[in-house]
Amino acid sequence: MRRYSTEIIFLFPLLAYLLGFTLIPIGHATILAFSDPWSGAFPSLASFENIFGHFQFKEAVFNTLFITVVGLSLELVLGLGLALLLLERFRGRKFFRALMLLPLGIPTIVVASNMRYLFDTNGFLNEVLYRLGMIEVPLNWMGGGIQTLFSLVVADMWKVTPLVMLILLAGLESIPREVLEAAEIDGASYARRLRFILLPLLKPFITMALIIRGIDAFRIFELPLALTGQTVRVMATYSFFEYREFGNVHTSAASAAILMVMILIAIGVYLKVVKQREIMA
Amino acid sequence: MRRFVFLILLVFAVIFILAPVYLMVKISLSPPAEILREHPSLGMEGITFKHWSTILSAGQIWAPLRKSLTVAVMSVVLSLLLGIPGAYALSRLPFKLSSAILLFIFLSRMIPEIEIALPISITFIRIGLLDTDLGLTLAHALRILPIVTWILVSSFKTIPRDLEDAAFVDGCGKVRSLLTIMVPLALPGIAVAAIFGFLGSWDEFTYAVYLAIAKKTLPLVVYYYINRASFFLASAYATVITIPVIIVTYSLQKYLKAEYLAGAVKS
Amino acid sequence: MGLGEAEWKVMREEIFPPFEKEAKVKIEAIQMEAADLPQVLEAQVEAGRVKIDLFAQDNMQLAYLVNRGLIEDLSEYEKEIPETVIPALVEACRFKGKLYFMPYRPNVQIVYYNREKFENYQLDLPRDWEDLLEVARVFKQEEGKGKILFKAYGGAPTATQLYEWIVSAGGDPFSLNDEGCVKTFAFLQELWPFVSADSIRAKFDTSNEYIARDSAYLMQNWPFGIRIIVEEYAKTDIETYHGFSGPVREAHVIGGEVLGIPRGAEKKELALKFIRYLQSREVQGKLVNKLGWPSVRTDAYEEMTGLMRERFKAVNEALEYGVLRKNVSYWDDYVKYVNDAFTQIVIRGEPVEETLDYYHDQLEAAKRRM
Repeated sequence: MRRYSTEIIFLFPLLAYLLGFTLIPIGHATILAFSDPWSGAFPSLASFENIFGHFQFKEAVFNTLFITVVGLSLELVLGLGLALLLLERFRGRKFFRALMLLPLGIPTIVVASNMRYLFDTNGFLNEVLYRLGMIEVPLNWMGGGIQTLFSLVVADMWKVTPLVMLILLAGLESIPREVLEAAEIDGASYARRLRFILLPLLKPFITMALIIRGIDAFRIFELPLALTGQTVRVMATYSFFEYREFGNVHTSAASAAILMVMILIAIGVYLKVVKQREIMA
Repeated sequence: MRRFVFLILLVFAVIFILAPVYLMVKISLSPPAEILREHPSLGMEGITFKHWSTILSAGQIWAPLRKSLTVAVMSVVLSLLLGIPGAYALSRLPFKLSSAILLFIFLSRMIPEIEIALPISITFIRIGLLDTDLGLTLAHALRILPIVTWILVSSFKTIPRDLEDAAFVDGCGKVRSLLTIMVPLALPGIAVAAIFGFLGSWDEFTYAVYLAIAKKTLPLVVYYYINRASFFLASAYATVITIPVIIVTYSLQKYLKAEYLAGAVKS
Repeated sequence: MGLGEAEWKVMREEIFPPFEKEAKVKIEAIQMEAADLPQVLEAQVEAGRVKIDLFAQDNMQLAYLVNRGLIEDLSEYEKEIPETVIPALVEACRFKGKLYFMPYRPNVQIVYYNREKFENYQLDLPRDWEDLLEVARVFKQEEGKGKILFKAYGGAPTATQLYEWIVSAGGDPFSLNDEGCVKTFAFLQELWPFVSADSIRAKFDTSNEYIARDSAYLMQNWPFGIRIIVEEYAKTDIETYHGFSGPVREAHVIGGEVLGIPRGAEKKELALKFIRYLQSREVQGKLVNKLGWPSVRTDAYEEMTGLMRERFKAVNEALEYGVLRKNVSYWDDYVKYVNDAFTQIVIRGEPVEETLDYYHDQLEAAKRRM
């Protein structure tokens, strides 16, 4: 311990500030989740029973998982593709790099509003499809069902893929050229090089992208709030509506607690799986 | 073949990224009749500056802009002040311990903001920080510290330990080492952290509702326009918010060397 | 309070200055949406530093404030309410026997319609649900998509609309499964295929947008929308009328705003003075003439200009069918259950009676707990 005494002193203000302000509210919220809304008794699973019996909650859980898993997968694939793209030297590369970063800078509330222009029944996406002759009657993107979930995934990806791309680009740029060149000389095809050399070397970066994005992906909020409201809920909007519209802080806290647990479990599972692979590899 | 695939990907990516932004700008410049019909126009027909002139004369731009800017800058400064020493410490601690601490730091990001925003705001209001820049700064700092810390940890990790060890051998203390060696070397990474911190504060909304009542921030004003006015005005407003950010990210994008993002996972 | 730009202008230029001059104070006006107000107040009241002295709040969103004790009890000032204020509106401010709010501004939803489209298809304005269904059918047939907007976003907007429809079917909304409720939900189930797809995103603000962009040709909303639609969206063929009746009667929920004082407000006396000012005949008259707002007083309409009377017609007529929502402490539970019932029955087509019975039980349990 003493060896790290300076480190501890350095770390202290950060932790004290952050945890000092947030731990108590988090604790308070957890206590609320486990209290009975009517008698105030603690501990009690009444709120949890309440939400588990609520069909909106079960759907919210499914929707959240779907959006997170599908979203993360697509973001990884697209992010990797774009990163590989930007690795190549071509004219205007700098410009495209800057362009790709644009979505990061746009406030989420604006993104939500823009996505509404696209996905509304009288929206521009339908308009483009109509002009291309692909549809006659406008499609109802946000009406529920799988297409709504996919629309949310796409809308979310818009803002977030640049971040994944950045991280993966970092990884790619950190691989020494010699390694890549050696493989190329050896005659390995692009696909093989990708699979057996690049991807394993990128693993730490993929992990990082997944963790950073994963934590936020589960909590997706502004987009579903603006685009689907109360008809298609995710866990964050479910908590929100329970609190705001229905004035029930306990169920709101209970669902938030479950969300937090889901995130922790997801991280735990992922790290375990990665560890296994590393041991076996 | 590969080139072809990449070209297609590039074209799609550009369209995908630009489309919503283009729409936003287009709507802010379009007369209502162009958009409000069964089949809205796609190009830039019929430009009007009416919406822009309306919002510019409404006088709701400069004060919120100043406030958002001030708060963003201040919260970045605060996060860096807290984060740089902390990240430095984390980068020198054993991997398992520092990862655990980092995860713990992210705990506050795992809960939907709505749950904790109220109690935290109550604390700040209690000490008299309602409607102050400081109050919102403190709240935003809480929000951006996790990502800022992460990036800083990565940045510090990219600096080879030998450099530091050499300095220690020369009798340099840890504090001096931090200030005179580590920070200057990690400056690009610090810039990255600053950018992400800035973005995180710029579009923040939940705390602003509680803590910026009479003096609003930009996202709050957008919210207002979306609720109480036409979405044409809201688009114009949204474009206004976006411009500074484009400027900031474009000019600082050369710092976005991704190794600063990734070091945290390298053990 | 939550107002649009034009409304704030009138406030700042006409309503505030006389009071400021007389009481020698400066009024700081804060724009805030009704949905955000409860928690914002809670933050300040709990922190013990209340900056807001007076607020005007949507009368549908009061339960939270009352249940959490965030406001001052104003019972002792009841005698100071002017005599010409409509008694029913005072009642709306009473919870559990105490007067927590002061009447200020009643409001009622009216029906907006696209005159051009109605003329095109030679349709008459619906007078009752049967007509409505007919009109909806015609639109869908001619255009291939539903063009009636029903605020199905959820939460307070949908709950309020459902409350109104259930009452016009002769039901008690808080029972959720009596004959009127069953009729309402069954009818909505029938209507749903002819309803605009954007309905699930329709609430008080987005609705204006949807009717302006021809996503719907008929909708119900609060009167503030007409200014936005006609002036900002430049859609001049949208007009209004008072609405249609249900199987039993025509009913429109009286919404609007009431004034309240947060608990622990610093300038309570001044706030009360301002309340009296706002309730005065002169000010109410100004609100009528300049903003087109209905008044809480019966004697505020004497100076109404001809132009206003025109615009006002729909609102006035709708007010004649006004019903007041009962102030119950389980309002939020009602909102939740009626919305869930709506989602299951109308949007997903589940059986009407069974589902309503289920939610009836849920609401009963909630009532018992209160």
